Amino acid sequence: MDLVQITGEKCGMGNSIWAVASGKGGVGKSFISASLAITVAKLGHPVVIVDLDITGANSHTCLGMNPSPLNLRHYFDGSKTLQEIIVPSSIPKLSLIQGLWDSWNLFELTADRVEKLVKDLRELTASYVIIDLGAGGTHGNIEVFKHVDEKILVTTPEPTSLEKNYRFIEGYICSKIQPTTTPDKYMDWIHALREKRHSTNSSAYSIRNYITDKMPESLPTFEAMNNSPIHVVVNSVRSHEQSSLGYSIRSVCNKYFELEVNFLGSINYDNAVWQSIRLHEPVLIAQPFTPLAGQFLSLCKHLIDPEELRAVV
Amino acid sequence: MSADGKFNYYAILEVDQHAPQHEVTTAFERAKKTYSGDNPAIYTIFSQDEAREYLKIIEEAYSVLGNKTLRSMYDKKLFGKSSVEDLSYASLLKASQANMPQTKKVEKIVPVVDEAMEKEIREKTDWSGPDLKKVREYRGLSIERLSQITKINSYYIRAIEDMNAKGLPAYVFVRGYVLQIVRELGLDQKNVTDSFIKNYKTIMKPE
Repeated sequence: MDLVQITGEKCGMGNSIWAVASGKGGVGKSFISASLAITVAKLGHPVVIVDLDITGANSHTCLGMNPSPLNLRHYFDGSKTLQEIIVPSSIPKLSLIQGLWDSWNLFELTADRVEKLVKDLRELTASYVIIDLGAGGTHGNIEVFKHVDEKILVTTPEPTSLEKNYRFIEGYICSKIQPTTTPDKYMDWIHALREKRHSTNSSAYSIRNYITDKMPESLPTFEAMNNSPIHVVVNSVRSHEQSSLGYSIRSVCNKYFELEVNFLGSINYDNAVWQSIRLHEPVLIAQPFTPLAGQFLSLCKHLIDPEELRAVV
Repeated sequence: MSADGKFNYYAILEVDQHAPQHEVTTAFERAKKTYSGDNPAIYTIFSQDEAREYLKIIEEAYSVLGNKTLRSMYDKKLFGKSSVEDLSYASLLKASQANMPQTKKVEKIVPVVDEAMEKEIREKTDWSGPDLKKVREYRGLSIERLSQITKINSYYIRAIEDMNAKGLPAYVFVRGYVLQIVRELGLDQKNVTDSFIKNYKTIMKPE
């Protein structure tokens, strides 16, 4: 429990919170958040994984741990503080906040709960906090996404996954814009978007133009979204062509949503992943020098210190 | 895409204004891959028609930014804050042509068809240098231009037209030259060349 406190470099408020989300389940969110955390820990930074998949926690499985008796349920019902439910892992500098695992009644991730959680997470002494979200663009997931520093969106090259992730991005944009305008104007906008979805004419629709014309009060918020762009990770890549899909996603988001999206990198499909999960040992620990580990290292370096990756002239 | 961005080719290709040429090419290839074929990334976002429209703009953008001359002119206009109409590909191309020396265009030959002359050419069986000169002038070709096309030194072309054996290399080469000139003038290659060589040999004899 004290591991994070002992190894912590920075003290409170200085940490960076990352959230790993996806519009679709089964694309590897938990695997990616666990692997990112292991890589960050290997780079020497104290890191905490928060399992915020309210439909069923499984980050501990990806880390090869047993579920902890202390979990977020104790935090949300007020019986424990966040510090008290952190459990250390077998990996140095890496600890876990166990998700809701023994809660048999429905749990809702409300805006208040998210705000409180994020505030308390910022108080932690770990340098990095990685939140593993559940699948889908639910209200709670998007609320978390709005509060974190680095927004990581995981997709696979399948059209089903891409489609659901675009819906996630749309939900995120709408949720950001909604509080900045009046309900009437917001509903008009939603109607306009819906009409566009069902129309067949080929004239390109511009979200930015619409906002500039009809809801100028929301434009600063819309522009500000580019300051903290969504990072796209393409998981389960099986060919070279699929690995460049991220650039296409970036371009489509840029042209359609007029939103900066960063293609963080792609992760190859690797049979070692499911094999190692079955053996309850993280693949980056069992096989630390594979191309897969290199890909995660590149993702982490992009997020932690992109300058380091630049070529020195 | 916003209207004022329609001619911002850098925004279309999503590259930095100072991006080196190879990055522009990479960006174009990626954009082309995205909006052509059935890339899953455009699924549920752009229809096939919309993608085709984008592809058109992307190709136009690359035809400017992919060309160093056009790109530098475009940059000047873009940062010089001129009107949006001035930034189209067509206007750039026009402007760039104004800057280029127009040697090739001027020499476009407009053939003047003179029936009497055509008839004379058809019926003529005895050919020598001056006759070739006459046909060449009728076709509107200068010696320099003929030399450019056939890659024969203009000095030799003049010598052939003047039937000046001293200014010419060995007879086999002359035959090759004449064959080329005759072909370029659009005459009957075998008959005209044979006739010319027959005349040429009579000049060579006294030497």
